[in-house]
Amino acid sequence: MPDLGALLGGLVSFIGEQVAASSLRLGPVATVTLLGVVLVLLSLVARPSTRWTVRDIGRLASVGRAMALAAESGTVAALSLGTAGVARATTALGRIETLAAMPILGIVARAAARSGVPLRVTTNDPVAAAMADMLLADAHRRTETPERRDRSTAEYVGEGRATAAATALASGGSPAANFVAGGLGEESLLLLHGASRGAAWTSFGTAAPSQASSVLLTGEGTMIGPELFQATSDHGVRAERTGVLAANRLIGAAVAVIVIGSVLAWVAGVDVTAALVGG
Amino acid sequence: MRRSVPATVVVVVGLLLLVNYIVINPLLAGAAEAVLRLVVVLAAGAALAGGVALVHRHGGDLLRGRGDRLGSAVLLAGLAAVPIAGLYPGSQGVADPAVRWLVGALLAPLIASLFAMLFVFLLLAMREGMAIRSRQVTVMLLAAGVVIVLLLPLGGQIGASLATAADWAMAVPIGGVFRGLLIGVAVVTAVHAARVLLVVEGADD
Repeated sequence: MPDLGALLGGLVSFIGEQVAASSLRLGPVATVTLLGVVLVLLSLVARPSTRWTVRDIGRLASVGRAMALAAESGTVAALSLGTAGVARATTALGRIETLAAMPILGIVARAAARSGVPLRVTTNDPVAAAMADMLLADAHRRTETPERRDRSTAEYVGEGRATAAATALASGGSPAANFVAGGLGEESLLLLHGASRGAAWTSFGTAAPSQASSVLLTGEGTMIGPELFQATSDHGVRAERTGVLAANRLIGAAVAVIVIGSVLAWVAGVDVTAALVGG
Repeated sequence: MRRSVPATVVVVVGLLLLVNYIVINPLLAGAAEAVLRLVVVLAAGAALAGGVALVHRHGGDLLRGRGDRLGSAVLLAGLAAVPIAGLYPGSQGVADPAVRWLVGALLAPLIASLFAMLFVFLLLAMREGMAIRSRQVTVMLLAAGVVIVLLLPLGGQIGASLATAADWAMAVPIGGVFRGLLIGVAVVTAVHAARVLLVVEGADD
């Protein structure tokens, strides 16, 4: 039977063998850059500071008014989580966009629960539908309105981007307040047009730069590019505020690297790109 | 206690995949590959669960006579047609002629006709955008008008000048805006992913 010392020695030698058999895939500079994101975020968790707020991104500050409109007209509020999804997303950005839409759903769901407005959440991804269902339940729990829980639904409309767009176009009834937040593709104009039809209040958002024009043309409140992630940071969601602070500092660092790298490349002929990404 | 289990799973799996991305190690690569295979299985299970949820909801709507009963009936018929075509005894699965016909003769033309309406909806959206009269939409439509003028198929010196201006517009202002958007999106995406990975307050909500 091995004693504790032999066990520890074996563990240490195993770790040493694994370290000896390992190498950095990206090179030291790129690895440090990648880990820098995590370190910046950790430092902000320890010491967050304030930032300036200049406008209401996505009109989320007036979501209470949207719910009041819906309550007065006796209609529902609707929210689409885009067409990328979590399990069905083909790109990491699409997946992250859907995850970024969840805090927005949380804000809208709590406002709907307080106002007694049924909220209909639609998505073309079953995992996102399950997450939305949990958020709806949590919203009613936090606002102490469990008796209204059954009136709000999270619906899986079927697989495919075209399915979600066709469902939005064909859906009967006009929600007084309509939200779309998440990943969008070429079908965005169809989905957003269907969502905005007959709605008295709209807020649309996506991080995909190519679909920014569709959002701008069809939505009254808009969240484009990074704004999809920033929109909830002004609404008492502390984690999003930390994320915005981290993003601001990292954008500043990226601008500094671009400017300094450009000057170095122009004056001294240094290839900063090769040092950062290898090759 | 209930909420810490998913958070722990997220941190462990996320750190494993992140370390595997940074460090080349056969043991790590094997563990990461096993996790990714499990993710594929989970995604397939989620898709199956989604199909069951669809049948449950629309079947319930049909039985209770609520909502769009015709739409629910058509959806359930379509949902049954493809598995029957692909799973009947002697079927060749996805390569079966019946499945290929359903996809090629029904599904593909339906999707194509949907996307063919994009231009019409673009014109409608421009009209609605002008009705909203926001500064962003006005600037965007003015820029679209300028780009249309720059891309006019004219010949001679005027055409050459317009083409040069169009190339400059694509490379400098339009390209710059897109690069800025992409940089911003990339940064916040990395921060958001790091926040989920580190389970920063409320990230498991």
